[in-house]
Amino acid sequence: MDDNSPQYDGNTIISTSRLTKAFGNLVAVNDLHLQVMRGDVFGFLGPNGSGKTTTIRMLLGLIRPTAGRAIMFGMDNAYQLPAILQRIGAIVEMPIFYPYLSGLDNLRVIAAASGMVSGPANDRRLAEVLEIVELRTYEKLAYRKYSLGMKQRLGIAAALLTDPELVLLDEPTNGLDPAGVFEIRQLIQRLSSLGKTIFISSHILYEIQQVCNRVAILQKGNLVKQGNVNELMQKSEQIEVRLSREDETLYAQQVLQKAQAQDATWITQVRIDRNRQNQSLLLVDAPVARSAEVNALLARQNLFAAELHPREGSLEEVFLQLTGQPTLPGVGTHVGMVALADPIQAVPQQPVPSPELSDSGKRGTV
Amino acid sequence: MSTIQTSPEQPMPAQERTSTVIMGRQDFLSVLFRLIGVELYKLRRRAMSKVLAIMGVSLMILVFLIISVGELFVLSQPSSTFLPRQCTQINNPQGPQNPNGTPCLDHPPTQAEIAAAQQNKQSQLESTSSPLRLPLSLYVAVQVTQVIGLVLLVIIAGTIVGGEYSVGTVRLMSTRGPTRVQYLLAKLGAILSCIVIGFVFIVLIGLVVGALLNLASGVATDTTFLNNNGIGHILRYALIGMFGLFVYSTLALFLGTLGRATAAGVAGALVWWVLESVLSGILTIVAFIIKGPFGDFLKAIPDYFIGNNVGALLQNQAQYFLGFSASQLSNVHAILVLLVYLALFIGLSLLASVRRDITN
Repeated sequence: MDDNSPQYDGNTIISTSRLTKAFGNLVAVNDLHLQVMRGDVFGFLGPNGSGKTTTIRMLLGLIRPTAGRAIMFGMDNAYQLPAILQRIGAIVEMPIFYPYLSGLDNLRVIAAASGMVSGPANDRRLAEVLEIVELRTYEKLAYRKYSLGMKQRLGIAAALLTDPELVLLDEPTNGLDPAGVFEIRQLIQRLSSLGKTIFISSHILYEIQQVCNRVAILQKGNLVKQGNVNELMQKSEQIEVRLSREDETLYAQQVLQKAQAQDATWITQVRIDRNRQNQSLLLVDAPVARSAEVNALLARQNLFAAELHPREGSLEEVFLQLTGQPTLPGVGTHVGMVALADPIQAVPQQPVPSPELSDSGKRGTV
Repeated sequence: MSTIQTSPEQPMPAQERTSTVIMGRQDFLSVLFRLIGVELYKLRRRAMSKVLAIMGVSLMILVFLIISVGELFVLSQPSSTFLPRQCTQINNPQGPQNPNGTPCLDHPPTQAEIAAAQQNKQSQLESTSSPLRLPLSLYVAVQVTQVIGLVLLVIIAGTIVGGEYSVGTVRLMSTRGPTRVQYLLAKLGAILSCIVIGFVFIVLIGLVVGALLNLASGVATDTTFLNNNGIGHILRYALIGMFGLFVYSTLALFLGTLGRATAAGVAGALVWWVLESVLSGILTIVAFIIKGPFGDFLKAIPDYFIGNNVGALLQNQAQYFLGFSASQLSNVHAILVLLVYLALFIGLSLLASVRRDITN
């Protein structure tokens, strides 16, 4: 297979190869190779202006790539777009509907445009999706009177209307309050459990970490990383050690670096940082499961930790490491996360179920 | 677990949808007709369409009411008004013998003169009320649609195309499956439906209102024009009226698509329409002044304007049931010119909408 051919097998829902889009001299997306498998909850990450929406627009045929190809459901979207789009439900940026129509009428229009039979035959489905996004009460209200959150939810209802195999959501939590964000996350998990493939773009990394099993990170149009969320986060796990004195911290760093050079290859890096109280800290990049071994290595040299605690990796740290952006000193919490973490901290993490096809290939529906 | 295995770049089998999703036929025409239905549904739910329809009907009624003022005025006058005036009243002392003076009476009206006055009144009544009766009322109604109807339809056409860009719904609709060609053709189909429905409805209202107002005159409609030949020309006349509206609506669609805004479609088409009339006048005057080959060239330019060709086609049909003279432009010339315009407007709109990127 040459470099221009997308990597493809029977379970690949989206496969792009060298996908590129340039607007004049500005290369918005460069040489992108993406792979989304059936059943994935795929997070598409990147700061604003990194090329996420441009990529989504290319996938949906809204804009033409300057170079490269996108294969979806085994079909090239340059030639078989209508057949592809019939299997996708999408929100691109802020969903916009006809302001003079009610939410229900807007969905009727979308349903007919999506190939559903016109008239009352599909009213049950309209009611179902409005129920899912909790807009039944407001279904007869004109769209122009909807709040930002209601508009976003109507967008999701429209995306789910045809019970699509791939749900493509571009920044779906924009404009939603914390409760709304939580609802969307639950909805994504529910869709995933029913076997839908979800492609979700966001610049809110915590949100993605909560729901996605695979991610791709984009920066300035280039794909920085693509892979399994757990694997990526494992690489960013750290063990934080505080010793009583500065000289002990320096010595402990040397001990661990020596161990790393010998047989403790699971240690990837040891460095000194400071916490908010300006105390020196030893940051050991190593799986948190190895915390006891780190402690033992130090204890053997009569170095006893005043504090030792594992720090779970976060997608945000992975992202900042990969994109070479600085972190806040010591605490491992990053600027972008502070504002977002608080409202959704209370939400228990739920593992994303791994969907499997039944023998008939038929799945449930939302 | 079983997986679906497909060879590279072979369509992956589609999963079955939930039982509450009922999909229709997906062939080109079925999708197109469904989309035309969608466009008409959107128009029907729009307050603007209702307002425009009411305006169209009201203006048509108003035009016939204004025409009927002349009829009512004649009707309200006593027959004596139609007698020649007394010579003393018009300062003609030489009386009716004066060959250069205004005809006048120098005696009390005789029975014959009174009868002539009554006949004069009747003939004036027939003349002033003729635009209220067929076939002239059809001419009036169609002319009204070519002005008022045109403005209203250009607004509708510009809005249903440019509005998608102005509001931003083009992004939403373009991700639902149908091709951009289907979307544009659906809009053309919706415009055509509006023209047919609107034209027939408004013209019929005009004819009915005219007929009702004509009742006061007591003049019966002369139905001799309703022979096979006449009906054929009347139908063709109506079709040309609709065709003219369609060409201007397509212009609004083209400009709305090109400018990605309602304003571009509506304002652009109306400015074009007005400019055609203004330029026709200016070019004719300039050509008359300049004369020579260049003058002839300038004089020929208006022959390629939309309005002049639609007018020529209408006039060439009206001659058969109204006795008008035929236009200088032949039907073939006019039809060819209008078809070229249509092909250009539709072709360029398709090209623009298919090739362009849909961004913000």
